[in-house]
Amino acid sequence: MGPHTIYNLNAGVQVRREVFGLLFYNYKGPRLYFVPSRDLIDPDFFDGRRTVGDLVDTLGSRHAWPEQWISDRVHQVLGVLEEKGLIHGQSVC
Amino acid sequence: MGNQYVEMGLSAPVNATWEVTFKCNLSCIHCLSDSGRKRPGELTTAECRQVIDQLAGQKVFQFNIGGGEPFARPDFPDLMEYAHEKGMVTCISTNGTLIDRDIARRLDKGLVYIQVSLDGAAPESNDAIRGQGSFKAAMKALDHLHSRSIEVSINTVLTRLSFPELDKLHDLAASVGAKLRVSRFRPSGRGKASWSDLNVSQDQMADFSGWLSQHLGVSTGDSFFSVTTEERRSLGLNMCGACKLTCCVSPKGEVYPCAFLQDPDFLAGKLPRDRFGDIWRDSPVFASFRELEIKSCESCHRFDLCHGGCPAIAFHTQRKLGVPDPGCLVNCVTVKSMEKFEKHVAKTAMAAG
Repeated sequence: MGPHTIYNLNAGVQVRREVFGLLFYNYKGPRLYFVPSRDLIDPDFFDGRRTVGDLVDTLGSRHAWPEQWISDRVHQVLGVLEEKGLIHGQSVC
Repeated sequence: MGNQYVEMGLSAPVNATWEVTFKCNLSCIHCLSDSGRKRPGELTTAECRQVIDQLAGQKVFQFNIGGGEPFARPDFPDLMEYAHEKGMVTCISTNGTLIDRDIARRLDKGLVYIQVSLDGAAPESNDAIRGQGSFKAAMKALDHLHSRSIEVSINTVLTRLSFPELDKLHDLAASVGAKLRVSRFRPSGRGKASWSDLNVSQDQMADFSGWLSQHLGVSTGDSFFSVTTEERRSLGLNMCGACKLTCCVSPKGEVYPCAFLQDPDFLAGKLPRDRFGDIWRDSPVFASFRELEIKSCESCHRFDLCHGGCPAIAFHTQRKLGVPDPGCLVNCVTVKSMEKFEKHVAKTAMAAG
């Protein structure tokens, strides 16, 4: 996964924002996956219009968090979601 | 299940049970909604589409559709297609009698699961509960659905009559490429009248708990967390999901905490007149349900597995909320042990006498 990767939901997967972060629903099961990411990633990110780099830049401009910390955290969350079969990435470079 | 996240309060239910009609061509003796004829005030097609719009707008992921017999509504396949267009998954509970090749063909295009109800593994046992000819018709539906590779479960309500047939039902489901799902019998609708005759004994409930532990592929929805054992801890809910993860919409658009609590006391709003988001967020009924605590269970060693069980069964059997589920495993095991002990004492007394 690089800064030029975009992500989309896998078929049968839905996501919505919750107080704790993101709630994923997978038609193929297991049904629910709770992601305590707070406001790190917006559900709209998974429509594949913004890259990981865009996301990191946006978060960096919105918060006083260290850029490396943001990047590590975003990569960690996306990596887990991909491993769980909820999203898939595609390089646009 | 992320209980701590659910307790923070979700923005919408994960799924909503929607009983789309009271109309049914069968007359099962345990029917939770006392279905039969279509009743005045059932939602029109246009109103149903508004219900779908509202729930899809709130990002409710799934409809659990029941009734009545959903396919008794002529507009039902169109409504399901509309829900699928909105991205919603539908899980349809049906008696199967109205599913033909054409219906099965239309269903295989959507995000759909089907649950076909059977309460016995043979015509004699099933039809005694569900009516003459219902077994044969349901099996035909299972064939149609299987031929379209639609994900199907056989749904069985646990009663004194179906309990001895669970192994056969499990085999029957496997033979038609289906899973077995066992639901809890609740004393609502016609189930109130048949409760004392059909509800499993506490002894049987304890045995059923053991059976479930040995059949991890059998699903139970949210029915049996009161008897869940460690083996099934990761397979489903360990608490009542009403007003937290789910709610129920009646054929007239009334919104209730769950399908088994459709009493006026629990009416939270009416669709499409009221906004679903407002009902979910602001209804006093839902707020009080979310705060419901079964204090007397909190010191129990099983509390983490069941959180006091099903409030609907407690309400229908004791006319109050906040009391333990009478089908609690601790009670059932205690009763079973007592019965064994009493039998042992009686045998000993007979031998001595």
